[in-house]
Amino acid sequence: MQHSLTPRYLIIVVILAWAVYALRPTWQYQNMTEDKKEELRTAGELERIESRIIRQGLDLKGGMYIVLEADIPALMGNLASLKDDRLETIIEGAQKKSANPDVDFFTAFEEDVKTDGIKLSRYYHEYGASLDDIITALKDEADDAINRVLEILQNRVDQFGVSEPTIQKQGKHRIVVELAGIQDSKRARSLLQSTALLEFYLVKNIAVTNEIIAQMDDVLREKTDSSEQPGPEEKPAKKDEKDDESTTVSELFGDSEPVTGDISQGTIDDIFADAPFSGLLTALPGDMGIEEKNVYALKKLLTRPEVQSKLANANGQFLFSQDAQSATNVNTPEKYYRLYYLENRPELTGGIVDEARADLGTLGSGSAGQPVVSLAMNSEGSRTWSRVTGANVGERIAIVLDKKVHMAPSIREKIPGGRTQIEGFADINEAKDIAIILRAGALPAPVNIIEERIVGPSLGADSIAQGTQAVLIGLALVLVFMLVYYKLAGIVADFALIWNILLVLAVLASLQATLTLPGIAGLILTIGMSIDSNVIIFERIREELRKGKTPKTAIDSGYDRALTTIIDANMTTLIASLVLYQFGTGPIKGFATVLFWGILISMFTAVFITRTIFSAYVSRKTLTSLSI
Amino acid sequence: MRILKETHIDFMSKTGLAGLLSAALIIAGIVSMVMNGGPKLSIDFKGGTMVAVNFTDSVDINEIRSAIANVSIDGQTFDFSKAEIKYFGAVGVDALLGKLDETNVAVRLASMDNEPEQFSQKFVDKMAEVYPELVPENRAEFVLSIEKVGPKIGAELSGDAVMAILSALALILVYISIRFEFKYAVGAIAALTHDVVITLGIFSLLGYEVSLAVVAAFLTIVGYSLNDTIVIFDRVRENVKALKSATLGSVINQSINESLSRTIITSLTTFFVVLILFLVGGEVIHTFSFAMIIGVIIGTYSSIFIASPVLIRMGANN
Repeated sequence: MQHSLTPRYLIIVVILAWAVYALRPTWQYQNMTEDKKEELRTAGELERIESRIIRQGLDLKGGMYIVLEADIPALMGNLASLKDDRLETIIEGAQKKSANPDVDFFTAFEEDVKTDGIKLSRYYHEYGASLDDIITALKDEADDAINRVLEILQNRVDQFGVSEPTIQKQGKHRIVVELAGIQDSKRARSLLQSTALLEFYLVKNIAVTNEIIAQMDDVLREKTDSSEQPGPEEKPAKKDEKDDESTTVSELFGDSEPVTGDISQGTIDDIFADAPFSGLLTALPGDMGIEEKNVYALKKLLTRPEVQSKLANANGQFLFSQDAQSATNVNTPEKYYRLYYLENRPELTGGIVDEARADLGTLGSGSAGQPVVSLAMNSEGSRTWSRVTGANVGERIAIVLDKKVHMAPSIREKIPGGRTQIEGFADINEAKDIAIILRAGALPAPVNIIEERIVGPSLGADSIAQGTQAVLIGLALVLVFMLVYYKLAGIVADFALIWNILLVLAVLASLQATLTLPGIAGLILTIGMSIDSNVIIFERIREELRKGKTPKTAIDSGYDRALTTIIDANMTTLIASLVLYQFGTGPIKGFATVLFWGILISMFTAVFITRTIFSAYVSRKTLTSLSI
Repeated sequence: MRILKETHIDFMSKTGLAGLLSAALIIAGIVSMVMNGGPKLSIDFKGGTMVAVNFTDSVDINEIRSAIANVSIDGQTFDFSKAEIKYFGAVGVDALLGKLDETNVAVRLASMDNEPEQFSQKFVDKMAEVYPELVPENRAEFVLSIEKVGPKIGAELSGDAVMAILSALALILVYISIRFEFKYAVGAIAALTHDVVITLGIFSLLGYEVSLAVVAAFLTIVGYSLNDTIVIFDRVRENVKALKSATLGSVINQSINESLSRTIITSLTTFFVVLILFLVGGEVIHTFSFAMIIGVIIGTYSSIFIASPVLIRMGANN
């Protein structure tokens, strides 16, 4: 071997130099103060360093990982030019079937359309005539929608200002968003999930609203009488109280005190039986209110088919206010949402926003000191806005974002120029976020959060501390053990082990791989397992020595015979880690990466580096014994 | 230094006893799984929400349980008193020393059909209301972690995990069949299946959850156990050529004895590092390192007492 050692030295030196070069930025970065980082950031140099360091995963740095799925069924509903129960049933059915991960929504949709015999061209005539054409076009539409969603989300996140956000498409209809170091997950979530559909609806006048509420009560009461088994004591009471009920409704709109205070439990029950709809409501100054605890019940009532058809016939819809608030001038802990009865066609809808800016309301206006979003509309929007406001002076118009009413001011005069303000935000941050999403545009399809993992910064810091501790203790233990057990040869193996770890880290840095907590576990496992190659070799050499061979021949045949064992044994772990990489997400991928490189490099260090050292050692002098 | 002088242990005569031991472990595990309706799956596979929060002082789990028995979110009333609530982070060395950290609490909730919007966040807010005076001043420090997995994702991940383990086994079968012979591959796969089933069984017996990280541990166990098996098989292959007249049983015995000190040293170093991981690695990778500890022990055992006897059986048939 001695004649061929020089190229081996050369290779080892080159690799060592490369490892140091690859790890230097990480080292620098770790020892940098925040001030220095800021300085480099302004100089524009930090990014270059950051692109060459080992990244920390979200589980170490803290942050959020969110998988969003485009709501394809909802998109299909939106795309239909005609909406009826039949189509809705089919979409719903297909949606249920596609809850099974093996079933594609469109496949289920197509099947259901065929079995039902429904003519799709009635609903989607813009997308073609034949079933195949329409399905293909709708699929394209869905793909296109998800791409636009991706773009818009990128836009929103960029403006939100997070360092190194990752937003990627996963599969056909999913988007994975990773935001490191996010402190306020609530804000980030709303930012991603708001559809940002901005609509302006006229509020129906009081008389019409009273009328529909009475009708709601009637239709729901009929339903209760016929479908559910009413208690015998309730039935006779109903007819007598009918008159009472109508006064309750009109009271709702008087500026009178809210009625909740003086109603005893018994009468509330009666009202629920007799006025299933209006019984849930409370009068607030100027508006209908609904107590927070009743919201769910009311929403359920509103989804009933008989209620839906009644509302559809009346061209109306009920929407809630954005937030629940304590009723003014009442000292109660109960919070109320406002309920609005609106036209069901918007006067003006999103896509008209040119510019949106968050601000505090100016002095003198009604919203002084309140966070507001100021909108500037494009020319088309401005024209419509000025026409709508001009034609409806004295009426109220509701500004609705994602189906929630932000405010419903009265129109005092015609508004030319397409400027308006939205109020009703909890704080300036919310207003800022809404301004961002209004600028970035509305999502073409709603998105649902289907997976969400958030790690708080303190847990991440704990994980780093604990992981590092485990690595150091494990490493120390193995190093000492090898030294004690194999003496001089143990030092060689220890040297190889440290090399191994350095090289793994260097590879991670140059691959820009992410180090996760399972990745650290992989590093620890590598420490334990990679020593195996050296153990196999050393045991083999000992065996050869026992057979009476000289150190030099023992080393040579030890290495030669151990080689196939090492390759075969490690191949299987490599296979397992490759499969794991394929299967895993985030943290698990981090583990697989470290394990893969750890094992691969351990084969190299054990076979190549330690052998070179041994060969050099043996060739220097005539050895009679080997410290192993 | 040497742990072992040359050994001449007749391992193959003890396979009957080992078989009984393995059978007992496997049956106990399977009975436990059948009684519990399968292995205890984490929210990764079952779907649901898991929230871990950090109070500034010790809190009482029972108080939290009764406080969340009646929670109103967006007008819906929920009873979460049946949820799994435990202290979070009290693992490893601290747990052994009896140092229970009672300030961190984790709650696990099943997924619900009528889940309100932003449910996990709203639930965190409700947790904060239980002990408002013990919430860290900087509210961002209150949340340790939130995990929410939708039922659909859970089903997908389960499918992926099973596929991953099966495809790893298949690939390994192919690799060993090519490098050795098919009968060696059968022995190795028998040992691996044995390892995974027993580890799964022990998890079920102890009530530990199988999460994504644990599946990763399973795959690592597969890799590790195989590593060990192959080192022995490699010796067998070498000795079969050298000792043509000897029976396969005695060749295997000799091979195990020859590689025994290596087996012990490597198993020990690996065992110690995963033990350290288990003791100081913290809550997040606790079950992972536990699976690895079991895996290292079972994997070493199975190379000698499962893979090798199966190889003898297969060899006898040829």
